[in-house]
Amino acid sequence: MKNIKLYVLAIMMLTITSSCDEALDINTNPLVASSADPNVLLPYVMVQYSNRHTTELGTRTMDVSQHFSACFNSPRRGSTSIFLTGNTWGMYYTQVLGNLQLVEQDAEAAGASSNNINAIAKVFKALSYYELTSIWGKVPFTEALNGQEFSSPNFDDQQIILNGVVDILDQAITLIDAIPEAFVNVSTGDLLYGGDMALWRRFANSLKLRVLMLIRNKDTSVDSKILQTLGQPFIDDNSQATMLKYFDTPAESNSYNRLVEAFFGIGNETQGVYAPGEPLYELLFESGDPRGTVMIVDPNKDGSPGNGIFLPFGAGAGAVISNNVIRNDLPQILMLPAEISFYRAELALKGVTSEDPQAMYEQGLNQIISFWGGDIPGAQLGISSSAIDEYIGGLPSLSSLGTEGALTAVYEQLYLESFIRPILAWNTVRRTKIPVLSGPPGTTIPTILKRFNYPPDEVASNPNTPANLPTDAPMWFEN
Amino acid sequence: MKKLFMLMVVLLFAIGSLLAQKTITGTISDQSGETLVGANVLVKGSNVGTISEIDGSFSLEVPEAFSTIIISFTGYRTQEVDISSQTHIDIVLGEGELLDEIVVTSLGIKKESKKLGYAIDQIDGEEMTKARSDNVIGALQGKVTGVNITQTSGNLGGSTKIIIRGVTSLSGNNDPLFVIDGMPMNNDQISSASRISGTRDFGNGASVINPDDIESLSVLKGAAATALYGARAAAGAIIITTKRGKSSSDGSARVSINSSYRLDDLFVIPDYQQDFAQGLLSKYDSSQIGTDWGPRNVGQTVQNVPIIGGPGALRKIEDNGVKDFFNTGFTAINNFAISDGTEKMDYRVSFGALNQTGILPGAKLSRYNVSLNAGVSHSERLQSRFGIQFIKTDSEGTGAAGANDPNIIGLSSFSSTTDPAVYDPWIDEAGNQINTSTPTSNNPLWIRHENRNERDDSRVLANMSMTYSPIDKLGITGQIGYDFDQDNRLITNRKGTAQRINGDFRVDKINNIQVNTDILAKYEIDVSQDFDVFTLVGFNYNKRKRATERLVSTSLLVPELFAPGNTEQNVPARFFQEQVLFGGYGSVDVTYKDFWTLSFTGRQDWTSTLPKENRKYFYPSVSTAFVFTDALNISNTGILDYGKFRASYAEVGNDTGPYQLDFVFNPITTATGQYGLNVNFPFNGRLAFAKGQTVPPSDLKPERQKSFEVGVDLDFLDYRLGIDMTYFHTRNVDQILALPIPETTGFSFLRTNVGQVNTTGFEISLDATPLRMKNFIWTTAINFSKADTKVVELSEGVDRVLIASGFNSVQVVAEAGKGFELFAVPFLRDTVSGRPIINPNDGTRLAGEARTFGSVLPDFTMGFINNFSIGPVDISFTVDWKSGGIMKSSTVEALQVNGLVEETLQNREGTFIDVAGVLENADGTFRDNDIPVVSSQVFWGALNNSSVAEPYIFDASFVKLREVAINYTLPKSFLSKTFFKELSIGLEARNVALLYSKVPHIDPEASLFGSGRDGFGIERQNVPSTKSIGVNLRATF
Repeated sequence: MKNIKLYVLAIMMLTITSSCDEALDINTNPLVASSADPNVLLPYVMVQYSNRHTTELGTRTMDVSQHFSACFNSPRRGSTSIFLTGNTWGMYYTQVLGNLQLVEQDAEAAGASSNNINAIAKVFKALSYYELTSIWGKVPFTEALNGQEFSSPNFDDQQIILNGVVDILDQAITLIDAIPEAFVNVSTGDLLYGGDMALWRRFANSLKLRVLMLIRNKDTSVDSKILQTLGQPFIDDNSQATMLKYFDTPAESNSYNRLVEAFFGIGNETQGVYAPGEPLYELLFESGDPRGTVMIVDPNKDGSPGNGIFLPFGAGAGAVISNNVIRNDLPQILMLPAEISFYRAELALKGVTSEDPQAMYEQGLNQIISFWGGDIPGAQLGISSSAIDEYIGGLPSLSSLGTEGALTAVYEQLYLESFIRPILAWNTVRRTKIPVLSGPPGTTIPTILKRFNYPPDEVASNPNTPANLPTDAPMWFEN
Repeated sequence: MKKLFMLMVVLLFAIGSLLAQKTITGTISDQSGETLVGANVLVKGSNVGTISEIDGSFSLEVPEAFSTIIISFTGYRTQEVDISSQTHIDIVLGEGELLDEIVVTSLGIKKESKKLGYAIDQIDGEEMTKARSDNVIGALQGKVTGVNITQTSGNLGGSTKIIIRGVTSLSGNNDPLFVIDGMPMNNDQISSASRISGTRDFGNGASVINPDDIESLSVLKGAAATALYGARAAAGAIIITTKRGKSSSDGSARVSINSSYRLDDLFVIPDYQQDFAQGLLSKYDSSQIGTDWGPRNVGQTVQNVPIIGGPGALRKIEDNGVKDFFNTGFTAINNFAISDGTEKMDYRVSFGALNQTGILPGAKLSRYNVSLNAGVSHSERLQSRFGIQFIKTDSEGTGAAGANDPNIIGLSSFSSTTDPAVYDPWIDEAGNQINTSTPTSNNPLWIRHENRNERDDSRVLANMSMTYSPIDKLGITGQIGYDFDQDNRLITNRKGTAQRINGDFRVDKINNIQVNTDILAKYEIDVSQDFDVFTLVGFNYNKRKRATERLVSTSLLVPELFAPGNTEQNVPARFFQEQVLFGGYGSVDVTYKDFWTLSFTGRQDWTSTLPKENRKYFYPSVSTAFVFTDALNISNTGILDYGKFRASYAEVGNDTGPYQLDFVFNPITTATGQYGLNVNFPFNGRLAFAKGQTVPPSDLKPERQKSFEVGVDLDFLDYRLGIDMTYFHTRNVDQILALPIPETTGFSFLRTNVGQVNTTGFEISLDATPLRMKNFIWTTAINFSKADTKVVELSEGVDRVLIASGFNSVQVVAEAGKGFELFAVPFLRDTVSGRPIINPNDGTRLAGEARTFGSVLPDFTMGFINNFSIGPVDISFTVDWKSGGIMKSSTVEALQVNGLVEETLQNREGTFIDVAGVLENADGTFRDNDIPVVSSQVFWGALNNSSVAEPYIFDASFVKLREVAINYTLPKSFLSKTFFKELSIGLEARNVALLYSKVPHIDPEASLFGSGRDGFGIERQNVPSTKSIGVNLRATF
């Protein structure tokens, strides 16, 4: 009996002490992967970019360009909250660029057969840096994403970043031109174009023109590059538009509308979360632009609730952005052909090219009104082509407006064209100064918001972060 | 449950006892002839005993087998009396020495307190049940030195946080290890969802312990005290020993019943203003419930009365109706235990039931504990014990806290002109929400009754041990413990809930398992008459595993059908983690002549969570205790009776969490957005993976903590005054931290060994018996604790690291050169005068750059316990004082911004000038502000513009009357005619009064964070805390 008890003890000891080392080799999480395919990394990058972009910049800063009201915590009066800045910064650098960097490195290691993947990563990287510098001016570019060498990346001037973005896009185009016959299929991962690299080439070239136009505002020496770019294929039809599609299911719907439903109720037209700003309302309705009726609902002709008043939440009578725009399946728009057409009109008016500005102007108008009038996926309201023709035909010709007037007309169209794209809209008003925007009531700065402050996390962890400029300090590209 | 209980009771009465016994009577007095009331009389070798009556008399049934009784009384020399030849004895107790105090140290080893080179506080189970807290940690408030206890809210089943000797870790290792009957138990608090999207606090793991089962609770504070437990007890340990069965004089079982019934009410009610109605800009608005910027309320008739609608006169609802909206909570705590023992075996079975309804309408909690603790002496050489506790906790309708969750109901959700009674009914026959103030707001009763928040938790704590003594004085013990927890949660929002209009639900199934085994050998050697040596070697294996399965589903088709097939969107998720620790340990205690003890310990750990080359680490401790009164033989001076000097030095290593070493890609289910507006994967049929945000460490080493402690224990004036003092210093280096790095590197964090945190502190505990007279004894105890945490260094170029994030730019940070600080946005101020700078456009204050405001931890805490024994009546109360530390209150912010409280009555009508402010002149100088603010609403509303938190940051110091208990014990003479052995009734109250506070409107103890985070000092719409009063009945038979 006694022996049995001893055995019990001995067995207990043995089971416990044996295989000690093996028992410790369990420190690998069974629910994560040690490598990942671009076909699963790119969806993350694109959707995370889009959703954060919409919920931070879209729902909070469309009122900076006075397109429409922001829901919560807008920076329009000059103060940028640390959540807005921190979340946006983190999205670009760690969620988008951090992952793209790994995609790019893997693609480079794989060689030419992954040129397509490499190019997609580079175009998206270029887009991200273009937007980063648009928001903050100086940001880390040349030393970014290389923690081993640069644990505290230096911040580059906007001029360097914008020119660098153009270089990245050139590299991407070169890679696309060198895609071999056998290449890695990225149709699953590429939520924008399903792996169609000809369209990516068009997008890259269009994006290049957008960036060059920004540089040109300050430095016309890029005109030769612009001419070169104009010789390459663009996005020149609404069917080629760069968009991330959303769907009418709660899991996959656009957050502009999701915010309305989550916090207020069904439908922006009822809830009045997003209401048009005066400049947008006036430009659309004073000229009888047919977009007005598909974008804005204003049955009593109350007009905009007031420039910069932006009292949200259906707080009073007034026009609201229509449910045709604020809907679950509204796509995230990255690039439309009309933007290119209006740039071409602008360049022609400025004598950089010899194209016909009127033709480009009308082409742009036709493209953008057709887009909102039915070409946009999921459109609920349409505009007939006859209505478009009638409207365009009724507009004064550019030549009748004089050079300044013609440019203003083009700029106004660029302003309208940038609808529901916060950074493009903001860049447009900062670049062209048209329409002339006065500061919103209660503003703490003399102009509209010109830049964000750096997020405190970067300030705290990176000693090379420059001192914050006042939020009304103009961007380098501004005149 | 009830039936079983009844059956047990019936059985008990059926147990007769026919064993032979005799009655011993006597009186007890001191040397001056005063009779002593309440002296303990115990039959040696049994648990048969009694206490002396008011006249010092006692009467005791002693079984024939026993021949000695022990008489003891605090402050007197204990006497043993032979009763084999007498039945009546008169005993005179001499003043002087106490029995050597035995305390439970690490690994459950009992040691004489005089041999310990470090401080231990031990609390009797009795003390824990005086005015029972529903969370065992709460019962320690004010009663021990060196601990900081925070009950975060009045939420039923919510967590209580305990920190021992201040914070020492930046990586969250600040929670003590809980050990119950030798088995480490999980004390984690796992929140469902996040604070950003509304959090639910379902309590900390140790809160399931039934206080009625506790025999004693030891608080091991310093690293030397916990050295044998190793790294896991680097932040201290709480060692709980549960009650065992004992043999009784009459051979019958001992049955005890302890029942408390208690009412819980709001502890602090804001100073609501009643002069102005709900509305905006001095206009009444029936939809603005919780925003009282309306017109002066003179009982005028309005066209649309709140909720009901239609014309009517405005009313003034006292305290905005919160006393009506929040219920009186009811708590019933019942415990039934039966125990028995013989020389060969003992057992104790206990049933505990806690049944509560909360102050939040619809909040309910029930917890049932069934425990068995039994042991058998198989022979002189072999003993075995086992214990098992099954604990079932069910709760529903407990509160939500945080933000962006429609289910949060705070003290700012009510108006002076809306009677909450009008919210009833909240639902119509078709299931639609009714009686809401606007179509987009919720009826709070709908929130409370239709949205579910259910938890069903099953916990098993089991342990078994065998001790074998092959030779005398050698004991080999094998011990295995198992902690199993299955925690199932269902949180729902009914279809039709504003902000969750399509309905949603979330299921969390969390499984926690911990297995712990120890094998240890103890050997005592009497080297010579002067030297005793006690040695111990042991081996420990510990495995912890947590698996979580989650389903978040939104957009229900059929209301109240919580099946994935009924929803448009389902996001399942799984989490898993597992870690293993092996430890080998040993200790040697050498005692010379019973007055000088030197102890050495060493422990080597092998952990699964560190890199292979660093996963083995050793740490030593040394401590000494020197009873100088015995050594110098100076104890009989009449002034100093006992004096011990103690000192210790210890090092502790610490590992980290699992899976932190590899670079990984995580499968992603959500693309996150602001305001919880997430998009889910698969998106358009596509899966998503992303890299982790933390750069994995290259050569991670264990954390090291070095600590030093000295102290004295002194007893004076015939043991009527005792003072224990301790000074300690702890240095934590190589902390394993996810250090924030510039996100521009593509990553947010770098995991590495970094920084140093020093904690220095001082503890004094004072016990005194200021008065001892016939029929009246006053004992008092004061516990003073101070712990200063200083972050000596972080990493190069890093000034502060985030410890916990609140809302609107409010954070708890560890700042180099300081401690745990509140980091928030202040007003922009003129650097010369310090006055706020005014916005010339509208006369409101401007925001400055975020900065630290001060420590969120108290400067010191003090507990003041008094006990008065007046004959059979015992009165005790505990005062709890916390001094220093700051907090930011979002409830106060909301109350002020919305014009709900009295201070917002100032300048209500017309414009006014914020005279505290200055305006900047063109030349950069400042002048007194002369720009008026258009209204009081704009003034208060603008104070928190741009996330300014300064006006809502307060000194969180408080003094609370924490406990009051009055107890009456029926005299033995009366009970002798009944079957009761002991019977007492009492009145108990907790959180009786807030005697001092600088925080307006709320309980200064409230915290947004549950015990799972080191977030202190941030409050946000917590379930308001409660005060409670009740009755207690205890019987033994």
